Amino acid sequence: MSLPQSCKRVYRFICENLDQTMDSPRCRAIRKHLDDCPDCRTYLDSLKKTVVLYTMLPSPKVPNRVHRKLFRTIALAYEAGGKEPRRPHKRILPKR
Amino acid sequence: MSITHTKASELKQRTDAELIHAAREGDHRAFTALVRRYEETVYRFSFKVCRDEQQAAETLQDTFVNVFRKLSSFDGKSKFSTWLFTIVTNNCLMKHRRRKSSAIEEPLEMYDEPPDHEKGPHRPRVARWDKTPEDLLIDSELREQLDAAIQKLPVDYRVVFVLRDIEGNSAEETARVLGISIEATKSRLRRARAFLKSRLDNYLRIHP
Repeated sequence: MSLPQSCKRVYRFICENLDQTMDSPRCRAIRKHLDDCPDCRTYLDSLKKTVVLYTMLPSPKVPNRVHRKLFRTIALAYEAGGKEPRRPHKRILPKR
Repeated sequence: MSITHTKASELKQRTDAELIHAAREGDHRAFTALVRRYEETVYRFSFKVCRDEQQAAETLQDTFVNVFRKLSSFDGKSKFSTWLFTIVTNNCLMKHRRRKSSAIEEPLEMYDEPPDHEKGPHRPRVARWDKTPEDLLIDSELREQLDAAIQKLPVDYRVVFVLRDIEGNSAEETARVLGISIEATKSRLRRARAFLKSRLDNYLRIHP
């Protein structure tokens, strides 16, 4: 089954402009279409939820060992006078 | 007052531009303050693109080594964060290309069509997601599905999705970071969102 052309235009628009203001004549027409088309409304709703789900996924913090290695590398870079820093030696460093 | 001998707490109050200026003058503490300000952002972004803690750690390290070496060439025309995202994105993409898996990446052009369209991915009808994102995220299996879906998303699309929708950069900033047109950025974002939604549709149809 093919969707009407109006649904195809709405599909492209809502994919590109989630959550943006819709004040132009084109956007008002799209909004009107959304009012009248349950499938496009459902599609928009699940597309928004997809984005929200990914923004809500927890992110790992920088592990302490990674943080310490990073700052050791920077210290070595300054010791080297701005030349390419050497990789830091493996050793126990104080916790941050 | 010079910021060369200021306390760490005072450095936190300084703008990026002030810290960059001092770091260029050789102020070690200003540079480390800049790194502290952005290390979590760089690590989080790297992890969300690489989906691997080891690779994210390597990218974090490489990115700030690059920043240290190239800071004098930062012209201040764009925001420091945009410049930083350019460096970290390049590092992520280089790592990905070096370790590229043999997995075949699905062409995403098919997601230009609506789901019910005859040329598009076949769906009997538009799937309804009745639960809120908060309710959905309680499901640990869904979290695994979210991770699996974004890993299947080709990396050129993944970086656009993370830069735009997760990190909140504008289309213009994202285009500048990637060196592509705004139209190409929008096209990749449209396909990435539709791809991810479609993958989650498959799961939520079985686990409503």
